[in-house]
Amino acid sequence: MLVEVLTRVVLVVGLLLPIALGLFVGRTRLTTTRTEWRSRIRVAAPAILVLSVVLLASRLIRWGGVDSDIGFHMTETIRQTEGEFVLLFLQVATPELTSYLTAIYIYGYTFLLVFPVIAYFALSDTTMFRRLLTAYAFNYAIGLVFYVLVIAYGPRNVFVEQLLTGSGSSPMIYEHSVEYRYLTREVNQNTNVFPSLHTSLSATVGIFAYLTRSSYPKWFPVAGVIAVSVIISTMYLGLHWGIDVLAGLVLAVLCVALSYQIVGRWSLSELYGQLLESKWF
Amino acid sequence: MNCDTTDHVDGIDRRSVLAATGAGLSLSLSGCIDTVESVVSDDEDDQLSLSIVTVPDDGNRETVRIARHLERNLEAVGIDTSIAWRSPSEFLEMILIDHDFDLYVGRHPADYDPDFLYEALHSAYADEAGWQNPFQYKQPTFVDPSLEAQRRADGDERRQLLKPVLRALAEEKPFDPICRPDEYRVANTRFDGWGDDHPATRRGYLGLEPEDDVDRLHALVTDARPSQNVNPLSATIRERGTVVDLLYDSLGTLVVTEDDDGVSYDVEPWLAREWEWEPTDDGRMTATVHLREECLFHESDEYDSQPVTAEDVEFTYAFLNDTAWGQSDTPSPAPRYRGQVSAVDDIVLDEDDPYQFQITVDAGAEVGDRALTVPILPRHVWRAELQDRISDLDSFSAPQGDWGLVTTSSVPPVGSGPFQFESQSQRNFLHLERFDDHFTLRADVALPEPTVEELRFSVDPGSTSSVSRVESGDADLTSSMLEAHAVGDISDDSDAVRLESPSWTFYHLGFNTSVSPCSDPEFRQAVCRLLDKVWITERIFYNRATPLSSPVADDWVPDDIEWDGEDPTTPFIGTDGMVNVEAARAVFESAGNFRYDDNGRLRVRN
Repeated sequence: MLVEVLTRVVLVVGLLLPIALGLFVGRTRLTTTRTEWRSRIRVAAPAILVLSVVLLASRLIRWGGVDSDIGFHMTETIRQTEGEFVLLFLQVATPELTSYLTAIYIYGYTFLLVFPVIAYFALSDTTMFRRLLTAYAFNYAIGLVFYVLVIAYGPRNVFVEQLLTGSGSSPMIYEHSVEYRYLTREVNQNTNVFPSLHTSLSATVGIFAYLTRSSYPKWFPVAGVIAVSVIISTMYLGLHWGIDVLAGLVLAVLCVALSYQIVGRWSLSELYGQLLESKWF
Repeated sequence: MNCDTTDHVDGIDRRSVLAATGAGLSLSLSGCIDTVESVVSDDEDDQLSLSIVTVPDDGNRETVRIARHLERNLEAVGIDTSIAWRSPSEFLEMILIDHDFDLYVGRHPADYDPDFLYEALHSAYADEAGWQNPFQYKQPTFVDPSLEAQRRADGDERRQLLKPVLRALAEEKPFDPICRPDEYRVANTRFDGWGDDHPATRRGYLGLEPEDDVDRLHALVTDARPSQNVNPLSATIRERGTVVDLLYDSLGTLVVTEDDDGVSYDVEPWLAREWEWEPTDDGRMTATVHLREECLFHESDEYDSQPVTAEDVEFTYAFLNDTAWGQSDTPSPAPRYRGQVSAVDDIVLDEDDPYQFQITVDAGAEVGDRALTVPILPRHVWRAELQDRISDLDSFSAPQGDWGLVTTSSVPPVGSGPFQFESQSQRNFLHLERFDDHFTLRADVALPEPTVEELRFSVDPGSTSSVSRVESGDADLTSSMLEAHAVGDISDDSDAVRLESPSWTFYHLGFNTSVSPCSDPEFRQAVCRLLDKVWITERIFYNRATPLSSPVADDWVPDDIEWDGEDPTTPFIGTDGMVNVEAARAVFESAGNFRYDDNGRLRVRN
């Protein structure tokens, strides 16, 4: 079951990527990438390595489960704070909107995260590429710390009654999308809701799309629409609280800022040079 | 406390991994924010506040919805109410082990025989952790004597003696049974013989006839815990113990038969070849039990296969009574099987015959039979595990119900049952294999036997998807009872069959009777009157449940407290799930200790 679902995600994203590459990146950049990819990877190696390590650790820990002995149970605190805010989305719920946002949540999000990696790698200057990977790594690393500290269930586990009413257009993704169940169970625990990483990563991509709009002018509006849709979908589908989304947005800004601070600050070859010149050698 | 930071003996050290990874997070950061906010605080003029513990929708949709229904009605009568959501195992930890709650909504595993009320309500267990008396209910003068008296009787006499217990329960409400869910499952027609036996019991998985090329039974569970831990003693990792039933044998086994006259429950010979209860001079019952000869325990990496003898039986009952084996300051009884084991007074081995022993119970034959349903544990394994843990006597302690041995997943799950443990993968599956030396496979034993090589329990995210997997032929059985909302998803024209089985579990509201305000029976009654059991069965269970006024099977319930369209002692104050606020407030006000302030908030009277 899980294999089928994953295959479908790979197929859909695999289909979208070449179209998007042709549309936004263009043939010239791809041709130069083919000749320069070795040197670009070498320059970006530290960022690639850091992101890989963070993803691996995040995967291991999230899959292993966050032990509730560390951490605060916050579901009730969040509910008491924001009340029934997410239920506002129910007032505009339609079956079409549910289908759209479900597709966005699964396929749109995956595409949104993967495409810029390739697009920025296709730029001769690897700075944006390295910043993007660094920002991703920060998102996952900081998100993970919060997942350990904050144990909370999303609105779908709390507002069962309301999310079920009018079941025809019920936005409760769990009711209708079996594939979603398999997918999220594979990658996540149901208590990992604060902050919303869907929100923070989408917003990160959105901010980068804005910052690189001179290189990829057509990508910015597309990224913007998908990112906003993903963010809305997390609340519409009852998966995240408004507070999770808010925290996700703050996290995104923080991570982009951090990536600008860090990338390019130290050059490995320079460090190596300094090391050679230093008096201890 | 739920936020206990001390490490257990067997703590798999993911915790330290986390501490290291979590950017230097320290354990000192830990804490609980939304646990019990009650109770009456220092300022006696404070509004009354209560916290309801429940599991999230992923754990059990029905309990969340009942908790929210109750929360709404409690708020309406001016009580500040909050809900604490916990995962199924944390939920049980909070209720059964830590007793850290005001109210909870959950499903009680109960038992086929009403004697489960003995461990659920007897004052002797009020301070113990486990399924024994989590309500900490104490009524030694008029409940305990009746609980004890009914055990010693059988048949109609026992029925009469149980009545005072059921009446007291209805009046006093240490817990309030809400409804009994209909028990549905879906099974694939690759196997024949579904429904001959109850699928929540051992026999439900035996004697099934597979099609020719089928050598694997693939069952789906919606609860991930069996894939993590199959310790037969743990109270928090299991609901009903079906897997334990398959890994371990018990002396007798439950046989559920349904016919036109109703359902009957019998304990029939299993590991014991036969027994016959005889009354003793002092009013107890005794039986000479013959074990089946040359049965073996499973083999594991650390332990060789050993024969099952009367010594293992003797060990099991003594060990369940004190899992610390006399080495800690106070005995540490197991958090499960307390009622069954407490009925057993004495086991005397036969010096000449390792397969024979004399068992004496302080009970009648019915409760005596129930005492024979506990899993028989291998003495050689548990003694060695025990030794490992008490090697350092100076620092040895065995917190009852919660210590290493009764919670760990590290004791090899060695039993003598029809299936043996093969492997498990966290949150994925539990894989069992047929135990070829099991006695049911002998030519001269006419009992249902394991018919497949392999029995796999896969964890599935929910009832709805389980149903579709069985219908599509990807799995053979939804082993977990289906949630009420998923029963409607079963299609009529697939290859799958729908199984309906007699049920003894029930949803209930539990009270912590040791803390104010729930220590006050009048208050508990008033709270029960905020539950609309009819509305709950209709709206939350889609009519796939029966509202209850008493937690036992209908034929045990005395006429005067029988369900008659509403709960006869605590009828709902209101209609269609909506509470009649004025009338309900009057009830709380007349409960004695409470008053309303000018803002309509309920307070404790000074």
